[in-house]
Amino acid sequence: MNPHIAAIFDEAENRYLKPEELKLITQYVASMPERLDTYRSLRDRELEIMETVAAQLQQEMPQAPEALIERCLKHALLMLRYCALSLLTHDETLVQRRFVDWVGPLTRIYDTKAIDAKLYRLLNQQLSKALTPKQLGCLSPSLAFAQEAILSTASMNSASMNSTSMNATVGN
Amino acid sequence: MISVADLLINNKVPGNFFTPEVYVHGDLEVGLLENRQGDRLLAVPETLIQAIYSGLDKETGQAARMVLFNCGKWWGKSFYIRFSEQMTGYYGIPLANLPMAEFLQALQECWIAHGWGKIDLDQTYQNRGFLIAKTWNSAFARLAPSQGQPVCHLEAGVLAAFFSQLTGKELHCVQTSCESMAADCNRFLLGLPQRLEPIEAMVPNLDHDAIMQELCP
Repeated sequence: MNPHIAAIFDEAENRYLKPEELKLITQYVASMPERLDTYRSLRDRELEIMETVAAQLQQEMPQAPEALIERCLKHALLMLRYCALSLLTHDETLVQRRFVDWVGPLTRIYDTKAIDAKLYRLLNQQLSKALTPKQLGCLSPSLAFAQEAILSTASMNSASMNSTSMNATVGN
Repeated sequence: MISVADLLINNKVPGNFFTPEVYVHGDLEVGLLENRQGDRLLAVPETLIQAIYSGLDKETGQAARMVLFNCGKWWGKSFYIRFSEQMTGYYGIPLANLPMAEFLQALQECWIAHGWGKIDLDQTYQNRGFLIAKTWNSAFARLAPSQGQPVCHLEAGVLAAFFSQLTGKELHCVQTSCESMAADCNRFLLGLPQRLEPIEAMVPNLDHDAIMQELCP
């Protein structure tokens, strides 16, 4: 849940809430139908949106290794799902904690910034076709935050670490 | 042609299995901590760690470090089995097939979620047959009585067993720097026992870099 709203509920323990506090809760409740509607659309159309993005991405980047494209698509799926979850909880900070903090370092290691940047552009195009302007308005803040965060962390120095196990070398 | 549906595992996309808010559950009424699979977690108070150190010192004296190391090995074996089961179940592939980047990140998050501080692996000497594990904010270093030499024997045992299980080879582990001695982090050198044997004697006299210089000139 949104940390501001959670803090207000904590305050409500031993006093009635002030008008400005109630206003925040009213806004949260009032925005809920739109958030739920956006969430449902994303859930129902995720596969269709992402299949189109995947096909376009492969077409635009035929030289990119398929494994890397698959990795980026998985990360984009994760991003969409956490952004959708943040619609329900009204808590954009979870996108940072649970998506950016996890995927950011992987993006850096696998050096996928170029693919991610193109993927985000295609994804945003598909989303603007699949969602209504209102739904897009609901989703945009967290989505833009996630995309910017990933592309900016990817700019930091990247190191290659594609191998799998360390069985072969340690202990020789 | 990539099929997005095929990228999902049971309609899921793996993220951070060890996100603390999802991984750790507490029930205040019955006083239990559990992980996301319902396995019990144990909260170890500082007093207990201090008592283990002082109790072992009184009971076993010089052998305390060996006792702690061996306890760590038991702990590390169980830790590896649990970690391996968790990763295999979550990613749907054996731990050995997990890409190195995901493995390391999962291990780091696992270390944090269990309150052991931070961990990182330094693979600089991997092609010479050594792996260095670095840890920060270790409670075992902070609460140990000062001994003028590294004190994280329990963690050394955990790491020895964990990486032995992972690599399928019997590995030993020697701590070469320690937060209890004002080092920037705890460093643990992992390798074959016979190759690490000469290191044990160097530890009280040489710092980490000097030891590595001796080992890999």
